[in-house]
Amino acid sequence: MLPAMLPELSPLEILLWSGLVIGLAFGITGQMTGFCLTRGLREYWLPGEIAKSGTPPGAKLGAFALAMAIAVVGTQLSDFFGVIDLRRSLYLAPGFPLLLVPLGGVLFGFGMMLANGCGARALVLLGQGNLRSFVVLLCLGISACATLTGLLAPLRNQAASLAMAPTVSALDLSANARLATVAVVSLVCAIFAFWRARLAQHPRDLIGGLAVGLLIVAGWLATGWLAQDDFEPKPVSSLTFIAPIGETIQYSMIATGVKPGFGVMLVAGVFLGALLAALLRRRTQLEGFATPRDMLRYMAGGSLMGIGGALAMGCSIGQGLTGFSTLAFSSLLACLGIVIGARLALPGVARRLHKSSSAMKAAQAS
Amino acid sequence: MKSANTPRPPAVRAMHPSRLDDPQRRVVLHNALLVPLAGGTIGSLAALIPHSAQAQGSGEWRKLPAARQLVGTATPLTQGLVLELPLLSEDGASVTLSVKTDNRLRLSGHIQSLHLFATRNPSPEIARYELAPELGAIDLTTRVRLNESQSVIAVARTSANEVLIAEREIRITTSGCMARMTDADASGEMQTRVRLPGPLRAGASGEVLTLITHPMHTGLATDASGKTPAQRIIKTFEVRFDNAPLLTAQYFRSLAANPYLRFAIRPRKTATIAMRWVEDTGKTAQYSGRIVVS
Repeated sequence: MLPAMLPELSPLEILLWSGLVIGLAFGITGQMTGFCLTRGLREYWLPGEIAKSGTPPGAKLGAFALAMAIAVVGTQLSDFFGVIDLRRSLYLAPGFPLLLVPLGGVLFGFGMMLANGCGARALVLLGQGNLRSFVVLLCLGISACATLTGLLAPLRNQAASLAMAPTVSALDLSANARLATVAVVSLVCAIFAFWRARLAQHPRDLIGGLAVGLLIVAGWLATGWLAQDDFEPKPVSSLTFIAPIGETIQYSMIATGVKPGFGVMLVAGVFLGALLAALLRRRTQLEGFATPRDMLRYMAGGSLMGIGGALAMGCSIGQGLTGFSTLAFSSLLACLGIVIGARLALPGVARRLHKSSSAMKAAQAS
Repeated sequence: MKSANTPRPPAVRAMHPSRLDDPQRRVVLHNALLVPLAGGTIGSLAALIPHSAQAQGSGEWRKLPAARQLVGTATPLTQGLVLELPLLSEDGASVTLSVKTDNRLRLSGHIQSLHLFATRNPSPEIARYELAPELGAIDLTTRVRLNESQSVIAVARTSANEVLIAEREIRITTSGCMARMTDADASGEMQTRVRLPGPLRAGASGEVLTLITHPMHTGLATDASGKTPAQRIIKTFEVRFDNAPLLTAQYFRSLAANPYLRFAIRPRKTATIAMRWVEDTGKTAQYSGRIVVS
């Protein structure tokens, strides 16, 4: 099973190194291209506010759609040809909590808009010196751990057992129907990216979407193929950030007694990659909160993302791309939840944007 | 800001110098500072020196009749046997456990038997191993089931009747994200996987990895359909090298599904290694291979 080109490393070492490398690549991509679902949705929904700043509306969302298309094609084909076994992933576990997944998605989406970016984005921003992200990450990681294994875990387990639904995914279809589904889904995403969002005119976003999509596939291949150990079957996964951010905080505290995993290395890699890219491009800048009220908003956003992401079994990346690429019904529900949650937070975002732009105008006038 | 006029919060008042002068309080503060510091230092040192002879015994074994009986009248050594477990595990269904002997350990005999216990499991006994001297230094890794946070104990006895004990605390948490991977399909059951070391130099040690696909039904847990399958486990695992017993293991229901055992072997010559797994129904599985010593 273990490919012959990596005979010197144990499966665990391969897993850890690939986590770090994929994280570094994601961090560098994120820093250089500004890949971000939050910004994509905001610019798509509020084109008027953005037009002034000169950024093309929709290109960021187009990049996300392109990443989705690539992730779906690459992941489904990897499974189809037997390179990885998607059924051993969390997303295709036999049952999923029918109420918690969409609810978690809504909470996550709302929190993401409050905190101006998801967990992965916060890691990238922290790398370039944005200390607001540090607060967001702490709140996110701790609330995620509290929901998964801590104070809120018994409540979550109770709520989950109220309504469990059997998992349905594209893997249950016949081979032809499955390939057709993959083709249709990825085509719809690609059409949105190139036709609606005119991604071809925005090479930076095009590259961002392309790279992130490929990294999702790389994550599946690393955990499901390169690092597979016949004697220690580990779950197959790819890029996801909610539990890993929590695990990283936990690992930093009890490292003498636990081993790091793919997720911890991934988180470390994203931060280091973004730091490296920002240093090389001279884009590092320390930033903090303007007002205590802002701090409260970011803290609430981080906590909502942690709780919501834990309930929904993933974040904008973990469900939006990785989960989506499995074409599981539960992941589609989570994605829908994230978009609805983000949309619910939109009036507040518009108000804040309006306030800051009028404040800027006032400053210019005086 | 009104903070200037608000009374000092209690935490600050407790640290007031006059309170610190109270001798008893000072002792308490001292300990509160020293204990985590010392603990942290020992912990990080232990991580740096993998085979450090850290004392691994806080006396938990005394509370377990089976372990007490094993120790008997001997005075157990709490150094020399090293039990490795994570401090924290999110999946109690399969926790990796290894037992090693400290290579600075000087014993009168070789380790002949090893017993593993999980103090707060419904049935504390996990496994017992009879070991031959050809194994060299003890280095075993397996996977166990832990029902809740508890102490895990390893008791070893040498051919000269010395008793060694190691204990570790482990915390088990619940994580719904950890989907139980139940191998419902019985066709894969009793399939074995073994990896033998490549050619070894004389006197060198190599590692053997073994695994058998088996659900290890405890007779306690309910499956997805709400039924409780009766106990059905792999009862014994025997390894023979050059037609002599090398390692004989007896398993109990606290051993994790798909019984896994990795062990070090230091063979003196090229010979056949034969393995046999026996289910409690009497069903068996076998494997045979060759370890080459050059």
